[in-house]
Amino acid sequence: MISFELSEQQNQIKEMTHWFAENEIRPMALEADRLGKVPDDWLHQVNQMGIQLNTSSFGGGGKSSGKRKKEREGNRMGVLATEEMAWGDPAVTLSLPGAGLGGPPIESSGTAEQKERFLSIFTTDKPRWGAYALTEPEAGSDASGVRTTARKVDGGYILNGQKIFITNGGRASWLVVFATVDPKLGRAGQRAFVVEKGTPGFSCTKLVKKMGLRANETAELLLEDCYVRTENLLGGEELYETSGSKPSGFQVAMKTFDSTRPIVASMAIGIARAAYEYTLDIVKKEYPKQGNYFHLASEILAEAEQDIQAARLLTWEAAWMADHGIANAKEAAMCKAYAGQIALDVCAKSLELLGPTGLEGHLVEKLYRDVKVFDIFEGTNEVQHLVIARRQYAPYDIRV
Amino acid sequence: MISFQATDDELAFVAVAKEFAKDRIRVQARESEQVEKVNEDLIEEANELGFLALELPEDWDGLELPLITQTQIMKALSYGDLGIVQGFTGAGDAASLFRLLFEHPGLQQVKDDNLTQGDSTTILVDLSDTEKPLGSTVSVQKDGNSYLVNGKTEPIRLAQYADTCVLFAKDQDGSPVILLLNDDWTVEDGDYRLGLLAAGIGKLTFEDVRVPESSVLATGTKAALIMKKVQTRNYIIHAAKQNGLMEAALDYATEYTAGRKAFGQEIAKFQGVSFKIAKMAIETRIVNHLTWEAALKADEDSAMAHGLALRAIHRAHKGVRFVTDAAVQLLGGHGFIQEFPVEKWMRDAQAQVALYGRERDYLTQRGAEILSGQVEVPVE
Ligand SMILES: Cc1cc2nc3c(=O)[nH]c(=O)nc-3n(C[C@H](O)[C@H](O)[C@H](O)COP(=O)(O)OP(=O)(O)OC[C@H]3O[C@@H](n4cnc5c(N)ncnc54)[C@H](O)[C@@H]3O)c2cc1C
Repeated sequence: MISFELSEQQNQIKEMTHWFAENEIRPMALEADRLGKVPDDWLHQVNQMGIQLNTSSFGGGGKSSGKRKKEREGNRMGVLATEEMAWGDPAVTLSLPGAGLGGPPIESSGTAEQKERFLSIFTTDKPRWGAYALTEPEAGSDASGVRTTARKVDGGYILNGQKIFITNGGRASWLVVFATVDPKLGRAGQRAFVVEKGTPGFSCTKLVKKMGLRANETAELLLEDCYVRTENLLGGEELYETSGSKPSGFQVAMKTFDSTRPIVASMAIGIARAAYEYTLDIVKKEYPKQGNYFHLASEILAEAEQDIQAARLLTWEAAWMADHGIANAKEAAMCKAYAGQIALDVCAKSLELLGPTGLEGHLVEKLYRDVKVFDIFEGTNEVQHLVIARRQYAPYDIRV
Repeated sequence: MISFQATDDELAFVAVAKEFAKDRIRVQARESEQVEKVNEDLIEEANELGFLALELPEDWDGLELPLITQTQIMKALSYGDLGIVQGFTGAGDAASLFRLLFEHPGLQQVKDDNLTQGDSTTILVDLSDTEKPLGSTVSVQKDGNSYLVNGKTEPIRLAQYADTCVLFAKDQDGSPVILLLNDDWTVEDGDYRLGLLAAGIGKLTFEDVRVPESSVLATGTKAALIMKKVQTRNYIIHAAKQNGLMEAALDYATEYTAGRKAFGQEIAKFQGVSFKIAKMAIETRIVNHLTWEAALKADEDSAMAHGLALRAIHRAHKGVRFVTDAAVQLLGGHGFIQEFPVEKWMRDAQAQVALYGRERDYLTQRGAEILSGQVEVPVE
């Protein structure tokens, strides 16, 4: 049955995360931006409460193999929760302890032993992070262009290369690192490794300064003759043997996007909603109730509200499809492409309504600086358009 | 006759400005942002080259250039960095008022300071739109022959450096008035992070400031007329500056996408990229032309100038937001980090449009003019 009502459990997670976003995250948003980091004691405290950022699942019912057949809703729960968290503040949200974007590849491609070893470390004693390291100076949108090499040696691999723009890359306990056993093999040569912090030859060389998301760490990493045991090859040698000539390391990288793109879209929506609600509140109090400025504000706010809901429905659809095991690459790209773009637009509209006043000490200018990257990471807007168009033209055997 | 050919003098002046923009301004952009101030030597150099006196009257040792020439020069300078250009001290947005009222006795002190010191800074606080919501709490009360000013302004460019302030306002009876204030305010240290961080943005607080009759520059319909003229000229000058930033972002993104490779080829070869560059180019040229058209009409003293200036500034707001955002997008992740200039340009652009008028308000005003068939006031 078609319904846009939240289930009881969905409502609960939404309310719970909203409470946390409103009372714990939002109050520190501007200060964390100024400091360029989320204070350690706050992270400790939050971690002790068991709050983490897990982009792969927010619980949400058993798998369909369970005894009682319960509808899986983890992806929908995920997008509902992240919208609320990002509404509180996106940079703080991305800095929450947890496996982050490193979680999905381990869950989807890791062996049972690897899942246990890497995903069980996120305990309440101290905050820990995971990370996802694909991007390189010469390989961003083109993930098949990865140049970090993995040379097979006795008992493992030697990695050499550089990774850039890695979220939580400096502080992560482990990172899923993509490398190639032979650049000539292209996608087929790619492998995913879990590199643990402290591994000799692995270092964080720089934390970059950014337009926004300043409180969230973005790292440059270096792998210099970095020895990684075979046990840390994601999925084990078997995964790559069984897939024959298929580009399976590349698939590990790509596979996660269908579940993480709706999550990233929902963050963009959370940011847009934060800007919109913040501005609406001020406009209600400070704008005239009639005349030019009233009409100007009405139109802008109505457009913003419509765009936000449009993005949200696209995102819910993609998440719903993922929950039902329906291929959703096109929908995941649609929601990400649309949400990334309108979120910036809503922030700009909000700034227009706030006028010069919005420049000083108001959350919206920060959200404007934060939001741009949501149209860039996890696949740029252009790349999402390609994904959509490819699927649109597939029945005609045309590859755009 | 229709022509897009600049004069030889203009070409020469623009060449100097562009060189200064590339060699002197661009290289100091990041540092100025970090220290939140434009280097004084750079301001001095700009002053010596005449760039701070383009609009000032000859009587004040200014260049008193026509707007069509100024737009080309301001665009060339802002190509270096809008953040620095907006941080240049001097007559700022009040220059047009000085040009129009150069003989006014109330301005002789400002003129003398300008001539002798050359480093005095004036800001323009425009409160003429009394319906404008949010921010300003300033009230102007007529009290006999003098005026009493109270309250706090919205954030204003150059507020941190201002020695004098020109106030466009309406008194308690709604009658327009232009006042000159001399350092009778306090400036609040604000928390500014978005952009134009070297532009000395701040809020002014006036507490029972009494403006004597001698500092009342105009009242009533005369004041309204002057305000409109000054606004017209400023819309044009700011549109030109924004156009300079657009061109900088366009050129930078073009060069970057011509060199950056993905999927085995230069990304410029993807239509998603090249079409965006093409749109940026179209938009940049449009803003240039609409600004030129408004400038020409203003120089001709045409009644149409105000409407055309509204059109130009509206399009420049829209254009500068679009082009700087597109430049960040085309650099991908590199666009978002501070090692490349485009993220700063996008922030500066947004701060600029926030400071200089609501985009849709300009459109509505222009629309209202079209509908009413209103005959406009001459501008020079
Ligand atoms: C704050 C931040 C956090 C990040 N976190 C992570 C992380 O945790 N892990 C990680 O691995 N990466 C991360 N990234 C990297 C991010 O995913 C990449 O920046 C992004 O994929 C784009 O790659 P690029 O920067 O190399 O841009 P490029 O690929 O060089 O793209 C430049 C421009 O070309 C366009 N383009 C490229 N190919 C095409 C095409 N075929 N058709 C049309 N247009 C095209 C792009 O859309 C873009 O506009 C992060 C980036 C940032 C800024």
